[in-house]
Amino acid sequence: MGRLRRSRAHHARRDVHRAARTRVRGRDLDQIQLIDLDPKNRAALEAQPLDYERPGLGQHYCVECAKYYETDAALQSHWKSKVHKRRCKALKEPAYTIEDAERAAGLGKEGKRPASTLISAEPMPIDENVVT
Amino acid sequence: MRIEKCYFCSKSVYPGHGSAFVRNDAKVFRFCTSKCHKNFKMKRNPRKVRWTKAFRKAAGKEMTIDSTIEFEKRRNVPVRYDRELVQTTVKAMKRIAEIKQRREHAFWKNRMAASREKLRAHRKKTVEKTTVRLVEPMAVESMEERVREKIKVHAKSRSALIPGEGRSMGMDID
Repeated sequence: MGRLRRSRAHHARRDVHRAARTRVRGRDLDQIQLIDLDPKNRAALEAQPLDYERPGLGQHYCVECAKYYETDAALQSHWKSKVHKRRCKALKEPAYTIEDAERAAGLGKEGKRPASTLISAEPMPIDENVVT
Repeated sequence: MRIEKCYFCSKSVYPGHGSAFVRNDAKVFRFCTSKCHKNFKMKRNPRKVRWTKAFRKAAGKEMTIDSTIEFEKRRNVPVRYDRELVQTTVKAMKRIAEIKQRREHAFWKNRMAASREKLRAHRKKTVEKTTVRLVEPMAVESMEERVREKIKVHAKSRSALIPGEGRSMGMDID
């Protein structure tokens, strides 16, 4: 990995706009963590049928990085790489989802009882009784 | 009509504002501004970006457990319009907002009290580190004593570019 490190030591990422296009968008971290890493799905992803459209016929797939490799040797060396290890570390943290965004905004879900006992003070059910 | 929340910064997204991205598994990501959308495209984690609500909540900079937060909810069952109900709800909303503001202020004050001591210690440390000690300046030597060093110029260092000396490319004139 010495070569890579030297060439990309200072964020020399070129063509950010091309990489951010929707059509090249890969799987998101929350998709990988919540769906792909499930043992059942993982087994299915690792033993894919021959696909002539995919690199290496879809036989060498890294589940964590959601990436196909041409050969088994390439996949093995990828597993040893810093990129893969960094990805594995990122996947250990809980994924950020839309629900998390709403919770941060203070928007709860209906049906789920809040932790506090203040639900009795909520105006809606009381007022309905008063009116009728 | 529904006021959505931004996926990245958790701000409210009012109808006619912002943009949405629908992922190929039919999850809808709403964004309040292009700034949030761009950050999403860069695959940044909102929990690690300091200006987002998610960061502030995760880092303990805002209240996370409070009864005033739990009133706002995504309700999927519509309620039949009732004048009295609306009146009381609006009244309750105002009152809750009032309480919430007061609690937030108290929380902030509490947080600042802890951080103030930290800041003071930090300031004291930097002052100790960076103080400049003034030393009595020595008597300035008189200018005559200082001998100016002569800058030596080699007499023979002549450029080849200057014509003459038989080195030039120009024609000899008799």
